[in-house]
Amino acid sequence: MIHGLIGPYVLDAVDDIERATFERHLRECDVCRADVDELREASARLADGAWSVPPPALRDNVLSAITSVRQIAPISPAPVRTARPRRRLRVVAAAAAVVVAVAGAATVASVIQNDRVRRAHDRAEAAQAAEARVRAVLAAPDLVVREEPVTGGGRVTVASSKLHDAGVIMLAAGSAPAGGKVYQLWTIRSRQPVNEGALAPGQTTSVQIVDGVSQASDVGVSIEPPGGSTTPTTPLAADVKL
Amino acid sequence: MAERGTSRRPDHLSAVPDAGPEKAPEKGSEPADLLRAVARGDEKAFARLYDLVAPRVYGLIRRVLRDPAQSEEVAQEVLVEVWRTAARFDPARGSATSWICTIAHRRAVDRVRAEQSAAERLAFVGRAQVDIPYDSVADEVSGRLERQQVRRCLSDLTELQRQAVTLAYYQGHTYPQVAELLGAPLPTVKTRMRDGLIRLRDCLGAGVPA
Repeated sequence: MIHGLIGPYVLDAVDDIERATFERHLRECDVCRADVDELREASARLADGAWSVPPPALRDNVLSAITSVRQIAPISPAPVRTARPRRRLRVVAAAAAVVVAVAGAATVASVIQNDRVRRAHDRAEAAQAAEARVRAVLAAPDLVVREEPVTGGGRVTVASSKLHDAGVIMLAAGSAPAGGKVYQLWTIRSRQPVNEGALAPGQTTSVQIVDGVSQASDVGVSIEPPGGSTTPTTPLAADVKL
Repeated sequence: MAERGTSRRPDHLSAVPDAGPEKAPEKGSEPADLLRAVARGDEKAFARLYDLVAPRVYGLIRRVLRDPAQSEEVAQEVLVEVWRTAARFDPARGSATSWICTIAHRRAVDRVRAEQSAAERLAFVGRAQVDIPYDSVADEVSGRLERQQVRRCLSDLTELQRQAVTLAYYQGHTYPQVAELLGAPLPTVKTRMRDGLIRLRDCLGAGVPA
């Protein structure tokens, strides 16, 4: 049932053989092509979830690259077609109608890939690092983001998730504190400041994950002697209410 | 705004905070219009299209590849490919954004698979241990408005649908790999991917930003 591959195909989760087989199928099936187009609109929206500002150099590089790249000619003047009405997927009917045998080679390819993914999986499990945790929190469906300016320039952003009971503190101060002092991060829990880490002298940015944010009422930033203090010794340079 | 009068589905990119000074989209400033101008060799239109789509293209590729340098390289290939093949864009088959994201996603996935088979992905462990660069995390948050709707819709999926869709789309796994990772049978994974996309489509379609 080649049509059963529509989901994997739209997500680019098929191998080259399956992709070719499915595309051959698409050429003969108008309904399937329309289904693919519709699901593509949805899958492309997943790119919204990955939105990230590219390095500025990319723009210059791309714009200068295209000046020496020849464009393909249009096949014909773009025909003015009326947009087709929105309709439900007719996946089931189409799937029942179309039976195409998939080459046995596809199965062999999957076995090899499974072996590979197992090894990658083992390694991934061994490397559960802070970045993965940060990204997991940032990907939480209930993420709440709060931001406050830091006295003296810059800002502190706190992204927290109740589901994970964790938060990510992102500090981007305008400049390092004077006199060799450092920034220190705090959470306030039951009106008591809890040390969440001090930055190194000269350090102005930091990403810190904190657990148990459901018990915290604030995230604070203060300026402390190198190495940090056990309790803030100066008024908070930033206070984010959670 | 002339394009708005037609029954063509709205281009999702119109919701992106504009990089340019003008707030309201002026005539001819939608991705589909720009892409048509690009197909005629209009470099200025391409520069404007770049500003609209680059954060999505780069972000998507980076999500799949993780490595910033490689992502930049692949993003450049993709954007040049958009320039080269702009004439192939067929507005009757979907939005310009979707067309561009499709090219970007496939390139990113191809690169990930090529890497997987070429080396033992030595960098895999190393990468996870690297300190978190502030910029990458700040970026994650900066696009949060764009993400909110997608995230909300993803959370409407069943757990298995969501896992199947995101493992494939954001990490470039094939469906047999996803089945392996989830410990689910192949036919189930195929069906969950399709059903997940259908649900996502219905959820997103209901609230497409104007």
